[in-house]
Amino acid sequence: MSGRWLAGKVAAALLTFAFVLVFNFFLFRVMGDPTTQLARLPQATPEELQQLRHNYGLDKPLMGQFVDYVGDTGRLDLGLSQRSRQPVWSEIKDALPWTLLLVGTGTLLATVIGSWLGVVAATRRGKRTDDGLLGFSLFTYAAPEYWIGIILILVFAVWIPIFPSGLQVTPGVQFSGFFSNAWDVAKHLVLPATAMTLMLLGQYFLIMRSSMVDVLTEDFITVKRATGLPWERVVRRHAVPNALLPLVTLSAIQFGAVVGGAITIETIFSWPGLGELSFQAINDKDFPVLEGTFLVFSAGVILANLLADCLYFYLDPRVQSR
Amino acid sequence: MSGEQAGAAVEVLAQPEFGDEPGTVRELLLGTWRGRFGLAVVALFAFMALFGKAIAPYPPDASSLDVLAPPSIHHLLGTTESGADVLSQVLVGARVSIVVGLAAAAISAVLGSTVGLVGGYFGGWTDRGLDALENWFLVIPTLPLMIVLARLLNPSLTVLIAVIGLTSWAGTGRIVRAQVLTLRERAFVERARALGAGDGYIIRKHILPNTLPLIFANTVLIVAVAILSEAALSFLGLGDPTRISWGTMLENAFESGAPSAQAWWYVIPPGLCITVLVLAISILGYLFEEHVNPRLREHG
Amino acid sequence: MRLKRVWTVTGLLVATVALGVGVASAGGASGSKQGDSILKIGWAQNPSTINPYVGQDEEAFSIWAINWDLLVNFSPKDLSPTPGIAESWDISDDKKTVTFHLDPNAKWSDGQPITSEDVKYSLEVLGSKGALFTSYTDNITSIETPNADTVVIHTKRPDARIVGGLFIYILPKHVWGKVPVGDLTGSYKPELPLVGSGPFIVTDFEPNRITKMEKNPNFRGPEPKFDEIQFIRYGNQDAAERALQVGEVDMVPEVSAAGFARLGDQPNIETLRASSPAYTQMAFNSCSTKICPDAQYNPAIQDLAVRQATAYAVDRERINQIAARDTSFEAHGMLPSFYKSFYEVPADDYPYDPEKAKQILDDAGWQDNGDSPRTKGGQELKFNLYVRSESPYDIQAAKLVAEQAKAVGIEYDVQVVSTDKLYDLTVRKVNGKPAPDYDTFIWGWGGDPYDPSFLLSVLTTGEIGGSSDSYYSNPTYDRLFKQQAGSFDTAQRKGIIQRMVALTQHDLPYLVITYDPNLEAYRTDRVANVEPTCPEDSTGDAICDQTSYEPLLTIAPGSSSGESGGGGSGIAIAVVAVVVVGVGAFFVIRARRRRDSEPLELDE
Repeated sequence: MSGRWLAGKVAAALLTFAFVLVFNFFLFRVMGDPTTQLARLPQATPEELQQLRHNYGLDKPLMGQFVDYVGDTGRLDLGLSQRSRQPVWSEIKDALPWTLLLVGTGTLLATVIGSWLGVVAATRRGKRTDDGLLGFSLFTYAAPEYWIGIILILVFAVWIPIFPSGLQVTPGVQFSGFFSNAWDVAKHLVLPATAMTLMLLGQYFLIMRSSMVDVLTEDFITVKRATGLPWERVVRRHAVPNALLPLVTLSAIQFGAVVGGAITIETIFSWPGLGELSFQAINDKDFPVLEGTFLVFSAGVILANLLADCLYFYLDPRVQSR
Repeated sequence: MSGEQAGAAVEVLAQPEFGDEPGTVRELLLGTWRGRFGLAVVALFAFMALFGKAIAPYPPDASSLDVLAPPSIHHLLGTTESGADVLSQVLVGARVSIVVGLAAAAISAVLGSTVGLVGGYFGGWTDRGLDALENWFLVIPTLPLMIVLARLLNPSLTVLIAVIGLTSWAGTGRIVRAQVLTLRERAFVERARALGAGDGYIIRKHILPNTLPLIFANTVLIVAVAILSEAALSFLGLGDPTRISWGTMLENAFESGAPSAQAWWYVIPPGLCITVLVLAISILGYLFEEHVNPRLREHG
Repeated sequence: MRLKRVWTVTGLLVATVALGVGVASAGGASGSKQGDSILKIGWAQNPSTINPYVGQDEEAFSIWAINWDLLVNFSPKDLSPTPGIAESWDISDDKKTVTFHLDPNAKWSDGQPITSEDVKYSLEVLGSKGALFTSYTDNITSIETPNADTVVIHTKRPDARIVGGLFIYILPKHVWGKVPVGDLTGSYKPELPLVGSGPFIVTDFEPNRITKMEKNPNFRGPEPKFDEIQFIRYGNQDAAERALQVGEVDMVPEVSAAGFARLGDQPNIETLRASSPAYTQMAFNSCSTKICPDAQYNPAIQDLAVRQATAYAVDRERINQIAARDTSFEAHGMLPSFYKSFYEVPADDYPYDPEKAKQILDDAGWQDNGDSPRTKGGQELKFNLYVRSESPYDIQAAKLVAEQAKAVGIEYDVQVVSTDKLYDLTVRKVNGKPAPDYDTFIWGWGGDPYDPSFLLSVLTTGEIGGSSDSYYSNPTYDRLFKQQAGSFDTAQRKGIIQRMVALTQHDLPYLVITYDPNLEAYRTDRVANVEPTCPEDSTGDAICDQTSYEPLLTIAPGSSSGESGGGGSGIAIAVVAVVVVGVGAFFVIRARRRRDSEPLELDE
């Protein structure tokens, strides 16, 4: 039953998220006593600390605290940033669209370019093109993305200064309209999105290549060729579509890596997204923000996995008929 | 690349089309260009980790007035922002990367195989619980998790190792569990059980020996992931501040404005070392995996 | 497998990304009026908050010092007292009462008059609850406001800080007074525009992005030449410096030592190495067993000969050249040269002289053991030297100290720890008594402009349990500290301060290594009329950051001001276009092919 299958997936995702909540709660409350983090008060008296604990509800029983925590999280009340004293959620809300933009562009480009190169390599298997592409993708796959980012800055922002290397938009400029604004953002997006694309590209290439190699040796392709269809047509219309399915699974697996990449790449390019926010929080020891970004990252990855499952379900008739 | 990705690439690189089906480990390592490449690179870096300090032309943190100087006859790879020799830092930095990689992978192997063995062998609620835990670790984004743990614990080498080890075992657990599930039903295990052997005995004598090669191959892959993780954490300022590693070198290079100074000699070497070493270890890992994983072998 | 669905899904993904661009750029769009001249300042970090009750960043001071006046401001010429909120002041004969006269026509930016009530409120409430403003009012007994234009301040003892050292911003009471103090010291978000008395007021503030300040219509002084100032956050120093290089910003008020030389070589960029009221010191654990019965340290550190030998062994200028790349200033005693009115090179200056260092140690009976540390009886000259992992300069300096001291037979074992850890080591307590756990460490202090009292106070006995981290205690020093604080006569005060410096140079609780600079850079094609100020000499500063807003009134837009930077954008546009067209074409071709294709078969 397909409905049941879907419901199971959703339940599993919810369970995973519940686990994240429990983990987050204990990690930040038990491992680091928030009172010592919330205020550095070397001269604080025991009474003042008690008051502080009371204000944060830390004198309640643990279960009560947990219920409060879940309730607050549900209301998107993630506490106050220690650094700016503003609600963590408002900082996350400002940063989220920029991360989605960067991650979305990077993933999209990596999928399209990676799978295209994969097809090219698979159809020229063993030739020099194949070897070259294979070497290139293995290299980008093993290389740290922030290292590639620094090199991109060095080459395209300093040596040949053709792209901006910091922020998401030219500061202090009055744009004449939406498009000139979007254009400016696009220019700033080039280098970070390239770094993100290079980081993800290798995987898509490798999967698409091997998937194509498998498909090309299957019987129905041989049959198609035998009917006299041109080779290109066979590849385009029959082999590629059948080789695409593993990419869907891969994109889900990749989301964890994407999130890690967002942290380092945003940091390097001063891209004002969630990754940069969490880097800032690492430096400032701003635990509420760190906790909040971790929660959002986890929720994002869980959601992405669920979506990929649904997508797979939607695309692959074999799952549906199960 | 991260832990999540490693699994996907295994299947690609383990395709038999990359070379003929090798018979022995010796053939595996020396008989293919991939094996020779991987082995040579790993040997080179292992040499650096052992003797880097001794062969470094300068003490790695010896400062000089020659700051961010391009490569010259005195400094083959130029100097850092404090006038230290980049080559010496690269040589010395190998040790931290490799030590963290090996130690974290060892923790991960022990944890992963224990969880996988226990869950797979005993089944039932134990298995379900452990499986849920594995699932959770597989889904949760690894780098943010490591960051959170490392920040709460204050940076040091031990913390790095512990944090990376504790967050990267789930893949091993998953693979071991699958293997144990098939082994459990095999005839020789059934026979041993029928003869009255205890669980501990069966695990020790039958299950573990048949799972070890798989654990080993997977752990080699984890070493690569751990090296990348150490570099990323160090780059984000969560490394051991008292030690030089390739990650901290990249952090220092970035923080001190090496990109703006066009100090490519400071940026490229540490990153290239990470990349090449990770690539070589991954290739070896895939080769072992291919060699020991029955499922992949059937493929060919 | 259904091909059509794949493309539907891909289309959806593209739409999502496009939507992302839309949402994100809509959020970021907030430019300024066309034709306005804007001074764009790039820096690594924005202030975390602009609420003076809780803000603690250097960057926050930069903003506050433009938005608000002090009761008495600092002159950018020589940092001496100059009219602020108060136009003039009278000092009583016993020097315990100061009467301030306010400008009756002065107005806040919102049109409300500036009155004595605002002063009283600020000194009393911000002066007692503000995180950074509490230490200035401890000597004040009462504040009277006989009328709207007069403020009378009474003090216990004569206190020179009342005029020229009362570093508390005067806030509008009608805005801040109505907010409960608990909120002000909590999560209160100041209303914008931030009502002020300075030449520019904050009109937009996003902690992780930008701070904008526009002209205050009711400013009392001459009209500034710029219409707006924008402080743009780049997240790291290097990015801000690159932005200056390509002309995206006009000025960077804090340049890294690495970037300083490089930027100085660029056409159109001028760099300034300004002195500042800050230094970096090596501190020695000087806590007596009476005060700290449970302190942890190698007692040999309290042998004066060892400290003096260390001072002779350390080449401070070399540390400046290597660790600070010659951007800092070699220190001569604990009073930075920034305090021109009080500064002089002390007699005991410890020039670099390793032979003399060895001689001192030999004379004191410390036996030379070649490469091993010197010994005497059971004692060994082996000490820990803590340093903060957050400061590369301090780490470098510590390594150099260790290297140089080793040459004379003293071993300093450099231990890099987090700021928190070092803080905990220095303030450690056992049974309620101070018990610092270190031999030596390297850290720094920053003082107030003009008035050196704060920097002098950290070595007083009274600060043990407070700011004192060396636990130095000398009754003569304490007595002189009180004397200088009550001296309104600059020459007399200088004499007293020099005696204090001489005492600490002899006793060496601190070996001050360098006076830290303020490195700045600006574009000469964007900013004109820059004259180094604060103080007005070769070590001056371009905008008198954090101290006086006066230079902002005279600097003017340069020849090519207002052009947005980001050179070579033409090529960038072309490349983006190619990528976009390429991806677009890919989809178009796909879509077309799909249309004329026959139904797909499944491989199952």
